[in-house]
Amino acid sequence: MDLLPFLLTQCLNALSQAALLFFLGVGLTLIFGIMRIVNFAHGTFYMLGAFIGYSSARVTGSFWAGLVIGPLIAGAIGAAFEMGLLRRLYRRDASAFLMVTFGLTLVLGEIIRLIWGVDALQLEVPEVFSGIVFLFDEPFPTYRLFLAGAGVVVAVGIWQFLERTRLGLLIRATSQNAEMVHALGVDVNLVRTAIFGIGCGLAALGGVLAAPLVTASLGMAGNAIIDAFVIVIIGGMGSFLGSLLAAVLVAFVQVFGTYYFPDFALAAMYMLMLLVLVIRPGGLLGKEA
Amino acid sequence: MRAVVCAAIVLAIAPFGLPLFAMTLLTEALILGLLAMSLDLMVGYTRLISFGHAAAYGLGAYTSGYLLLHTSLPLPFAVLAASALAGAVAIGVAWVCTLATGISFSMLTLAFAQLLYAVAFKWTSVTGASDGLAGIPRRAGPFGITMFQTKDGYYYLVLFCLLGAYAFCRSLVRSPFGAVLRGIRENEAKTLSLGYNTRLYKIAVVAVSFALGGLAGALYSPFAGFANTDLLFWLFSGQVLIMVIVGGQGTLHGPILGAAFFMLLEHVLSLYTESWALFFGLIFIGFVMFAPEGIWGLLTRRVRA
Amino acid sequence: MALLELDGLTKRYGGLTAVNGVTMRVEAGEVRAVIGPNGAGKTSLFHLITGVVPASAGDVRFEGRSLTRLSSYQRCQAGLSRTFQLTSLFPEMTARENCRLSAQARLARRWQPYGGQAVFGEASTRGDEALERLGLTAVAGRPAGLLSHGDQRLLEVAMALAQRPRVLLLDEPTQGLSVEETLTAVETLAGLFAGGRLTVLLVEHDMEVVFRLAQKITVMHRGSVIADDVPSVVKEDAAVQAAYLGGYA
Repeated sequence: MDLLPFLLTQCLNALSQAALLFFLGVGLTLIFGIMRIVNFAHGTFYMLGAFIGYSSARVTGSFWAGLVIGPLIAGAIGAAFEMGLLRRLYRRDASAFLMVTFGLTLVLGEIIRLIWGVDALQLEVPEVFSGIVFLFDEPFPTYRLFLAGAGVVVAVGIWQFLERTRLGLLIRATSQNAEMVHALGVDVNLVRTAIFGIGCGLAALGGVLAAPLVTASLGMAGNAIIDAFVIVIIGGMGSFLGSLLAAVLVAFVQVFGTYYFPDFALAAMYMLMLLVLVIRPGGLLGKEA
Repeated sequence: MRAVVCAAIVLAIAPFGLPLFAMTLLTEALILGLLAMSLDLMVGYTRLISFGHAAAYGLGAYTSGYLLLHTSLPLPFAVLAASALAGAVAIGVAWVCTLATGISFSMLTLAFAQLLYAVAFKWTSVTGASDGLAGIPRRAGPFGITMFQTKDGYYYLVLFCLLGAYAFCRSLVRSPFGAVLRGIRENEAKTLSLGYNTRLYKIAVVAVSFALGGLAGALYSPFAGFANTDLLFWLFSGQVLIMVIVGGQGTLHGPILGAAFFMLLEHVLSLYTESWALFFGLIFIGFVMFAPEGIWGLLTRRVRA
Repeated sequence: MALLELDGLTKRYGGLTAVNGVTMRVEAGEVRAVIGPNGAGKTSLFHLITGVVPASAGDVRFEGRSLTRLSSYQRCQAGLSRTFQLTSLFPEMTARENCRLSAQARLARRWQPYGGQAVFGEASTRGDEALERLGLTAVAGRPAGLLSHGDQRLLEVAMALAQRPRVLLLDEPTQGLSVEETLTAVETLAGLFAGGRLTVLLVEHDMEVVFRLAQKITVMHRGSVIADDVPSVVKEDAAVQAAYLGGYA
């Protein structure tokens, strides 16, 4: 195999992986940046998305229905959780959020096990993207190309949402000074509920998209939450661009690490994180240490 | 203090009144109590929320298991060596983790525990990978002491370690060192500006916490006869944190109660339902929402009222 | 040789120069105030002296020894004790415990991990003495977070004093106090400084307070020193009046 085609396909591979990691990380970082909450249940929402996506696709016969329904339901559950519980904790210190969301992880994980059982479930790749294409005579799955494209579309979408829309403006304003926004007559609680729901929905979106590659299984949450934390730490907590940058970096380290040092791939990710933290304790684009 | 002495006496005579299966549960509860208490030094006294305390436990469990399987070291020495190793590793871990503060610190501890988990999976020659270490013996000695080979004898070893660690921690948190920890808990920036090298204090408390958590793990593997990657799993780290919070952080004996409560609840719930984790999560959420002071806090509030 | 010497101390944040080549001498036993309009760089100067932020250029010398390479806690150990513009206390500890922990920082066995009656005893003695000098003995047993704002400001001074500092650095000690509270606080501080045994550097923008307390005044404007003299001279200085006092004096 020639070096150039190999590098190209591996890079594309890494970009599709980066898209999944970005969906996972950006929700967590948005929630943290705006609400100062570390959502430990983030990986569980990712897993929840995969399972709901699987069932919706089974019922409707369409992957695309699952892609819409999964994030919607997961986002609604997230929003309800914020309204019901988290809202009562805003006067407490940050660790209270960490622990309540950990409790939610246990509860949701168990509910998922009760509904879907312990077996891994295979969500079929949509027909359009089930084939392979040849890039420089190297076979490459079209679904992974689609993932990379979806990552770009969602990243641009979120960016435009934050920059251009009224809700986006409110979100940025709330992260700067919640009291002032409140004084201007905006229901800050509603903004927080919305952002928590959106963050959880984004994680679920990642979950549905990942399901055809890794199957929907109970092990998803644990891996996902670690990956999400690593991305948020590397990128800098609360930084949208940082999470994008970190997702790409981590994906490249994972993909090339798995190829060259299969035994140390996981360690490589942590080494990258330690390196970043030693140089910039607040993360690449983070403001605080 | 009187309550502690009474509890110690009750625990000391427990083997004479309890059936064997209850003693097994109690021994495990005391081991977990030691682990939870060690985490309380970080969480309750220094506000260092660790989501990776399973690392200390697993490190201790694997080390003592390996030493008992592959060397002729007597059991107490293997346990002590494992505890010392956990403490030594913690110095490096804490040096890195304390680069960050607050929530980033929590995530770094989690990442380190996961790293260790990954290592345990890959380093087959030492850890046995996914099979773990099995058939770990409770070896006799030194000096011809054989009492640790019996269940009751081992129970007394665990009780001795727990009481010793409790006395040590109690003295630590009431000492000048402990006063500085309390300062870090309430206002770290001010503590630093008073001229305390707060990072060094944090590294020291993590090392002590890991050494005691490692001691708990080191006692567990000869007790259970095995050590596997479950001991290093991130969910287990979360469970230990639950024990600390539910029991009552910042009290030392609260987390021991929390661990016992956890064991009992898991045992009772699992008799009736497979989904004990569901109820567990709900109970935990309830404690964080409505009783952040934990079981011990609820008890003492009743007494004071 | 002055006790504390600043030599061309400079801090740049990107294009902004917050502190621009400040040179200053603080003699032992002197009470010196740094004044200037908002944004003059007073608090930045404090951060540079105490090592909270690193200097872009210049040097801080204490007893002839350069502090540049020392971190903030080491500078405190060297003998510089400070208060903050925004009150920073241990809110759940009593006032007495606040001072005890502060005094403990200067004892050799401050980190002792067992017992500690001797350490606590010595620290309490120093802490109680500081509380008494600031007239806080009556509230010593109350949690710091429940004290009045005025008492909280004074408690922070007491904590710094309990360390028996070589130089006491006070960042706007009357910040946020009512007129009456300010009067009480100023009289308390004036009594404290009266013996001439303390070396004090204070940042303040309330002119009444400055003229009542300070023997020497350094005036800063846009990061630079524009005057440095005794109060009566500074009051008459044309540049100072133009930059800061306006029609005040």
